Amino acid sequence: MSSQGGFGQSKEFLDLIKSIGEARSKAEEDRIVLREIDTLKARLSSPNITKFKLKEYLMRLIYVEMLGHDASFGYIHAVKMTHDESLLLKRTGYLAVTLFLNEDHDLIILIVNTIQKDLRSDNYLVVCAALNAVCRLINEETIPAVLPQVVELLGHQKEAVRKKAVMALHRFYQRAPGSVSHLISNFRKRLCDNDPGVMAATLCPLFDLITIDVNSYKDLVVSFVNILKQVAERRLPKSYDYHQMPAPFIQIKLLKILSLLGNGDKKSSEQMYTILGDIMRKCDSASNIGNAVLYESICCVCSIHPNPKLLESAADTISKFLKGDSHNLKYLGIDALGLLIRISPEIAEQHQLAVIDCLEDPDDTLKRKTFDLLYKMTKSSNVEVIVDRMIDYMISINDHHYKTEIASRCVELAEQFAPSNQWFIQTMNKVFEHAGDLVNTKVAHNLMRLIAEGFGEDDNTADSQLRSSAVESYLRIIGEPKLPSTFLQVICWVLGEYGTADGKYSASYITGKLCDAAEAHSTDDTVKAYAVTALMKIYSFEIAAGRKVDMLPECQSLVEELLASHSTDLQQRAYELQAIICLDARAVENIMPMDANCEDIEIDKNLSFLDAYVQESLEKGAQPYIPEDERSGLSTSSNFRSQDHESSTHALRFEAYELPKSSVPPKVPSVLSSSVELVPVHEPSYVADFPQPATSALTVSNSGSSELKLRLDGVQKKWGRPTFSSTTPSTSSSDTFESNNGTTRHESISSTKSKVHDVSYDSRKQQPEISSEKQKLAASLFGGASKSDRKQSYSGQKVSKTNSHGADKSDLIKAASSSDTAAVIPTSQPPPDLLDLGEPTVTSSAPSVDPFKQLEGLLDPTQDTTKLSSSGVSVPNAPDIMSLYADMSLSGQSTTVANPPPNAIETHLAKQPSKGPNVQEFLEKDALVRQVGVTPSGQNPNLFKDLLG
Amino acid sequence: MIRGVIVMNDRGKPRLVKFYEFQPAEKQQELIRSIYRVLCSRAENVSNFVKVDSLFGQDVRLVYKTFATLYFVFIFDSSENELAMLDLMQVFVETLDKVFSNVCELDVVFNFNKVHTILEEFILGGQVLETNSSEVVKTVEEILKMERAANSIKVVPSIPGWQGR
Repeated sequence: MSSQGGFGQSKEFLDLIKSIGEARSKAEEDRIVLREIDTLKARLSSPNITKFKLKEYLMRLIYVEMLGHDASFGYIHAVKMTHDESLLLKRTGYLAVTLFLNEDHDLIILIVNTIQKDLRSDNYLVVCAALNAVCRLINEETIPAVLPQVVELLGHQKEAVRKKAVMALHRFYQRAPGSVSHLISNFRKRLCDNDPGVMAATLCPLFDLITIDVNSYKDLVVSFVNILKQVAERRLPKSYDYHQMPAPFIQIKLLKILSLLGNGDKKSSEQMYTILGDIMRKCDSASNIGNAVLYESICCVCSIHPNPKLLESAADTISKFLKGDSHNLKYLGIDALGLLIRISPEIAEQHQLAVIDCLEDPDDTLKRKTFDLLYKMTKSSNVEVIVDRMIDYMISINDHHYKTEIASRCVELAEQFAPSNQWFIQTMNKVFEHAGDLVNTKVAHNLMRLIAEGFGEDDNTADSQLRSSAVESYLRIIGEPKLPSTFLQVICWVLGEYGTADGKYSASYITGKLCDAAEAHSTDDTVKAYAVTALMKIYSFEIAAGRKVDMLPECQSLVEELLASHSTDLQQRAYELQAIICLDARAVENIMPMDANCEDIEIDKNLSFLDAYVQESLEKGAQPYIPEDERSGLSTSSNFRSQDHESSTHALRFEAYELPKSSVPPKVPSVLSSSVELVPVHEPSYVADFPQPATSALTVSNSGSSELKLRLDGVQKKWGRPTFSSTTPSTSSSDTFESNNGTTRHESISSTKSKVHDVSYDSRKQQPEISSEKQKLAASLFGGASKSDRKQSYSGQKVSKTNSHGADKSDLIKAASSSDTAAVIPTSQPPPDLLDLGEPTVTSSAPSVDPFKQLEGLLDPTQDTTKLSSSGVSVPNAPDIMSLYADMSLSGQSTTVANPPPNAIETHLAKQPSKGPNVQEFLEKDALVRQVGVTPSGQNPNLFKDLLG
Repeated sequence: MIRGVIVMNDRGKPRLVKFYEFQPAEKQQELIRSIYRVLCSRAENVSNFVKVDSLFGQDVRLVYKTFATLYFVFIFDSSENELAMLDLMQVFVETLDKVFSNVCELDVVFNFNKVHTILEEFILGGQVLETNSSEVVKTVEEILKMERAANSIKVVPSIPGWQGR
């Protein structure tokens, strides 16, 4: 023990770790590690160095690199070590190499040879080590070098080798599917391996393969169900039991595979019903792993063709999860609920309070999961509550990534389900204010479009009301510091377009605000551009209305500053502004018509208004225009579809111009052309980028064409793409449409009234001490369920009424909160585009073929063989899996008598003190450690505590 | 697929780092630091799951568990079941406990090659290879025996850490 330290490592290594452990700062740690690197560099380059010293240096290198320092100088030694004969050194070499190198590293080429040799070794442990390295280091180019050997190893006598060979092949498939596509049948073959471990390993590649292409594996449904049945019936060796569960990890993998295979396939699903029911019944819900299997069964039940009985037990299990104390279970419960409500939406009802509890839980993971669920169950009746909650949460978190996600979800939901325009704008304002830099600019453009178009109805007063309220809110917000750029663009655009429309605010007030905004964001050219254009619009509206324009001094200075701007775009805008101000009212009216941004732009593609001009030129002796394909001499020489402005006599051409990308390119007459057909010239892109009129030369002819980007056709009523619940012609959505239009008509739907009543009554009885606030929230989220809830939700309505912004909204709230009528309906209405629920009840209760019979038939060896061979699996005589496993389990049992069975860890630990050698060993270890000098410091008092203690 | 396995102590010092897709050293450090930050901010008695899609991409989560002074962290995508991963971690730690008999942080520090060996028996190329603790113990012991046999031929003095195991 003298020169060596503890743990089989040298004193030096122990010292290194000790000093790093005691380092007080990152800088100190770095110093120590750099010193170590120098030492290692010197040692490794010395000529006479024993292999075992080298091994230790390599370990130290790994350690150094784990701490984040470059150890590349030693890579070559790791590579050399893989060539060593000794297993210990070889394994160390492989370990170091797999940790150091990526598969495209130059040094890999030096290892491939060794790997090839090792794969052929007699010692299976060497083969295993090589296979480990294969999984990590072989890239697409080197796969062919080792592939034949790996395939050969699939039939190796040792199961550990077969298992790893399967994994290696799977890895090849992941790296380069093409290189092993002809070997995929091997996975099917290995599924029938005698060893359950190999079989289980095969499930991994099969899962991936099935994910990609379900249909080619439908024939395996029977086999998978069969295996799952055997596992569940404890036919695997006892050693695979874990916490009294038979091979739970294998069960989980199988359930995952079955859920893929049964998805949308009634016939396959029917074969699974029995075993799924069995598993869910038998599962031990007291243990962690039992719940994992249960959860996976729920996922499977929700994915396959629905079976009412299974769905019912899934719902029961979910409620158990949600009621449990464990956060992990609640998390899974929420997740499973999200899956189940897609099939039976009414289930959410029973769990409303549990869901709200989770929403208020301090656990962030759980909270996020719950928001995921809410996102999935949002509909018109509860969108306000959910989005409000989401925004509150969004404001409270700092994580950029998640903030972005939740902001875009808010936007999506608001676009889809907004009960009123006012609400939509307010919501958007909030989102922009707090996460404006994180949302897509498209969202901003949508918002502008909405304000411009309103609901698309003929109701002009509502539209102008909406605009006024938008203008009002923006004037309030614009002065705030640190507004995101996108949001400012929207504000500027809206103020320019509608700031003075209702006559409430004077032009000078608004222009003042705009100038302030432009000044406050002097580094942001886009905002400045929007502001200048807005100024231009306001002034031209003033001129058109016949009022005299007095430019504010700050405006004047802003324009002057921009006239000299480095940005040509800003310059142009400023010049345009100057030019427009000098024009008379009629001209301005043509350039800047009031509220013309939604009008369709008619484009005269033939440019017929130029006919007279062309005619005149021709008469004066100009050459007529010849279309490009009719020109003989030039057509071969130009690969570009060049835009020849000139007739063929001229040599000058403009091939560098690209073709215009926009679908409806604005056309500019080319003066010199001599025919009626003209060639489009690409517009400078910035003109199209901003919703503002192009050059004044253009605007005379195409006066309406200014707002190219905002012209969006066919947008009516709803803004986003529809989801399943909004597209459905169900009563729920028609109800909300009604309330959108200002007429509440909730009495029309009350079919499921009584049923929902009972359910919520039950849940109330179970939990009598629920706070009224929670119930209120529940009512608004889930559509208020019971009579007693009703009162509270009415009071909730009052509260929200006071800060509601229009008739639309309060109507909707009424619809939502007058509980047992309108708002209940959405939850109890199954979305029609999902699988029909009525059907399975009939078919599955009396399936045409008894699944049990089928299974029993399969277990018969002869039939098994025929089945398998007919299904294209190339096994000469498929082994009877069941009997093999039965044998295995016998032998497994006999071994477990010899070695004590894997105990649950608690009992294992409980026994510890009574076991003499263990204590002694522990004390020895402790003493050793102390001797080495690594003592528990104040910083790390628990250093010696057992991990499981 | 499992993306990575990390063992670190409660001060953020990595004790075992294994990524199944290659990550350059700096990136590894960054990931470890970010994960440590996330784990530190977790209260007690909350779930063992964290969504880490900001670090690893869409739908990637991690499961962590504290054993005495160590955080064990598994990072994986949607093809794995959270609760099952938690149990796999338990199996892994139980196996460590069997191999090291009363495993403690120092065992993991000084014998991380052995820990890697054990981990390789459980997870290969990001896929769960074996879930049976006793199988793994058997294999690992065989490997250690072989290595010891190779060792004893040489003149290196006995290595106390491996005796009696």
